[in-house]
Amino acid sequence: MTNAAQSASVPLPPPDATNKQICCEYCPVGCGYRVYSWPVGTQGGNAADENALGVEYPASALSGRWISENMHTVVDIDGRDHNVVIIPDADIQAVNIGGEHSIRGGALAKKLYTGSGPTADRLRTPYLRVRGDLVPISWEMASDLVADLGRHVIDNYGELAWGMKVYSYQFFQNTFAATKLAFASVGTPNYSPHHAPAEGDDTPGLSDAGIDAFGAAYEDFSEADVLFIAGSDPYETKTIAFTKWMVEGGADIIFVDPRRTYTASHALANGGMHLQLKPGTDTALYSAIVREIIDNGWEDRDFIDRYTASRAELDAEGGWRRQLFGRTFDELREYLFSRDEFTPDGAAAITGVPADQIREAARRLSGGGAGERPKVAVAFEKGVYWSHNYENTAAVANLGVVLGSTGRPGRSVGRMGGHQRGGQSAAGYPKDKSPHDYLGNKVEMDTERWLVEGNTRFRWVVGQNWLGAMGATQALREATEQLLSVGPQVTSTDPDIAFDQLKARIDAGGMVLVHQETYHNESTALADIILPAGAWGEDDYVRNNAERRMRLYQKIMDPPGDAKPDWQIFAMVAKKMGYDGFDWEDTNEIFEEAAPRSAGSRKDWLALVEFAQAEGRRTHDVLLDFGTTGIQTPIKLEDGQLVGTPRLHADLTFKSDSGKANFVFADWDEVAKRNDILGPADGEMWVLNGRVNELWNNLSDFTRRKIADDRWPMNWLEIHPDDAAAMGIESGDLVSIESDNVLDQVGRTVTGSFTAVAYVSDIVPPGVTFTYFMFPGSPANSVVSGDTTLQPINLRYNFKLGKGRVRKIGTTGLAETMSFAPRNLALGP
Amino acid sequence: MPMTRREFLFAGVATGAFVGAGIVLPVAISLTDDDGNPDSEALLYPRQRVASLSELRNGEPVFFDYPLVGQSNILVKVGAPAEAGIGPDGDIVAFSNLCTHMGCPLIEFQADHGVLGPCPCHFTTFDLARDAQVTLGQATQQLPRVLLTPDGDDIYAVGILRLVYGYSDSLTGGERVS
Ligand code: SF4
Ligand code: FES
Repeated sequence: MTNAAQSASVPLPPPDATNKQICCEYCPVGCGYRVYSWPVGTQGGNAADENALGVEYPASALSGRWISENMHTVVDIDGRDHNVVIIPDADIQAVNIGGEHSIRGGALAKKLYTGSGPTADRLRTPYLRVRGDLVPISWEMASDLVADLGRHVIDNYGELAWGMKVYSYQFFQNTFAATKLAFASVGTPNYSPHHAPAEGDDTPGLSDAGIDAFGAAYEDFSEADVLFIAGSDPYETKTIAFTKWMVEGGADIIFVDPRRTYTASHALANGGMHLQLKPGTDTALYSAIVREIIDNGWEDRDFIDRYTASRAELDAEGGWRRQLFGRTFDELREYLFSRDEFTPDGAAAITGVPADQIREAARRLSGGGAGERPKVAVAFEKGVYWSHNYENTAAVANLGVVLGSTGRPGRSVGRMGGHQRGGQSAAGYPKDKSPHDYLGNKVEMDTERWLVEGNTRFRWVVGQNWLGAMGATQALREATEQLLSVGPQVTSTDPDIAFDQLKARIDAGGMVLVHQETYHNESTALADIILPAGAWGEDDYVRNNAERRMRLYQKIMDPPGDAKPDWQIFAMVAKKMGYDGFDWEDTNEIFEEAAPRSAGSRKDWLALVEFAQAEGRRTHDVLLDFGTTGIQTPIKLEDGQLVGTPRLHADLTFKSDSGKANFVFADWDEVAKRNDILGPADGEMWVLNGRVNELWNNLSDFTRRKIADDRWPMNWLEIHPDDAAAMGIESGDLVSIESDNVLDQVGRTVTGSFTAVAYVSDIVPPGVTFTYFMFPGSPANSVVSGDTTLQPINLRYNFKLGKGRVRKIGTTGLAETMSFAPRNLALGP
Repeated sequence: MPMTRREFLFAGVATGAFVGAGIVLPVAISLTDDDGNPDSEALLYPRQRVASLSELRNGEPVFFDYPLVGQSNILVKVGAPAEAGIGPDGDIVAFSNLCTHMGCPLIEFQADHGVLGPCPCHFTTFDLARDAQVTLGQATQQLPRVLLTPDGDDIYAVGILRLVYGYSDSLTGGERVS
């Protein structure tokens, strides 16, 4: 009963409780937390000097010092039951000032392994699949198999047949260790992140404008006069960036999304705008706003004249993408004015956003030529770059550049972020070895296409529900099952027999699947070998939030059972494969080794290491001095002091050979063609997917957390009342969503389907539905294309352009217990 | 019969019998703490009259402090069947109206939707017909539910489930209502 949500007391940490720091595991905001732990049997008192928080209880409103029931748990530390309280750090000087938090991070304590209760099923031992069942094996046997099979594949089929699929974001130490194996040691291009089929840049259009996607500081959201927020609801998925920095700053909000989410309602109730565009039409909308700005002479002339590239400068650029798509202001203007689609009326017909709203948005964003130019922060996320990747990110970049929205307080254009930022590769991605190209220019390998084509003989998946996260989920799963069924299956736990059988499968053209995880998920269900991984709070780690704020995440407890931190697993296997340079003692050593690789990038922490070494200290310890407030990268050493960088491009130089920014060609014809291929066919509706406030990602923590499980006991489908009425659907009904018109990884037309409980709501417009993107047992990405040849410039899926037929197939019994009330009720001023 | 306080609270939730059937809760049963020691007076919830059935109107909330002074609650006849609701229509519920996010007062009951909120501070909305589930928002617990029992025309508060904002124990750290 340790985790019962119904107990009516929580123990206060006594003054001598162990007090550590950590930051939130979930969204990109990265709120700071304190972790108090102390042996069960004692507790602090209500007087300020009787508890570790140092405050009088009851805690006052907005104090940030109240411990809710979900902020407490009991875990085993060093063989003894300990109370653990994880509470927002009310003393932090940034991010979640005053101890703000969301429902996700606020319940972090429930993430910890307790040995009983919902987290008891953490993976604690390696497994081998024998005759279809997973049986426990030793680390020695597991790491021998992974190393020896990998070696066999590389030696006989080349490094392109050996692949890894690894979280891109997790912690610097773990991503460095993984890429040291994959890039620096094996040298394979068969490597991709959790969210995409290929390595590389998620927002290429913005990059090609010379602008860093994470240049802004949260202060910019407060200092802006106008916030242009597109393709993600910040209240729901970057909560504290919204409540603390966007709302408190009081900016005029222009929110762009096909759904009338909370932020849309909030904007409207507070004098802002909601540009409710049709799915897949962002390029037309942003281009039309830019055209309207230019048409009225409202562009930031001074910025454009001084800081954007000329034709000669663009011609001298080294990168092929900027050479192909870089544009001067005059060239952009010529394109925008050559097409009827970008007039207010033309864009209104395409986007569904009325022409007068397009004109009004242009006026608000530019100030309409009257008075001082407003400071505009443009903040976008996946709704923009995962519907049409290149064109949408180019079009939104053009909006930022035409407004001069970069590098200065309150002026920015960039991502709000999907995860925190813990990626640091140990070597360059070997793009020259990639089999894929665009117009003769190498692009990163589409590892899923490569796999379905039968080229991958060994795949090692780390920290993700891989299949659920990729387009055409069900087709990819079938293709994977097919590769795993070639040749013999393992029939023995004898290491030699198991190795020979898996080797025989590889030699017969099949594949071996290794999965390194914290919990079983839908992808581990296929794995031959499972490696139990440590997690957040189970070692000391470092990562950045979405404003490049670097903090130390301290270890709270050991990984459960025989589970090991990821870096240790990579090192163990790498050494057995015969590679050098994996003899780390701890994560501090990796962090210091990785620093030179970060130099010159947005996360540059080399100065931190140099400073620590000069002081004769560990770099982790120096970073700990900065508390949960941390320090924003790139970090510099000035007059013997470590200094952070609040915002990038502050000197108004940009990431291009000339140091200038530029405009980018956002080709509407390509978008229109793709919309024709991907959009709903007769009888189908749009099936958009994304995150919501109360959940995070593949729900590995959240299906194990009562407050989340009560709220969302199964996947749901938002459907407009008119559509629901026409189909006889009510909230609480079970619906099937199916499309027989999905493109798989190799361009075949396949079917995909999933089920969900209907949530009838005008949060979605008619013709559009919305569902959670990765709910266990409900593969929403199975109605999303898996064919990256549609976006050959940058191999990404069109995740936000799913479609399908919706049909009632029964009821769920949830109508009485789950809230189907509106999720977009907002307050005015 | 000694029960731990937690069993006592769960008994109310699990069976729903004493509230649903209108049985008056025995407020003086002997309680023990989790270790089986006899519990003090401090663990006993007071029985407090908070409203009268005949005066309640759909969607018009009544506010009262319980069990401690300053622990403000909202009682409302939701107007549609409510989880654990009492009264002839099974739609009368009461909850702490101190937001379980960061303690701001929740006063706006939206009768159309059966929700309390959005909270003025960070916009959490609670569904009062669904045991104050977070419909949308940042509170890390459902609102504490006040156990109600009718006695003739009177409605009594007889206990509270879940931790009240600000407290480390819902029954200590303040003065009892009288
Ligand atoms: S806003 Fe994001 S980082 Fe902050 S507590 Fe919530 S999930 Fe964690
Ligand atoms: S105090 Fe109610 S939502 Fe924060």
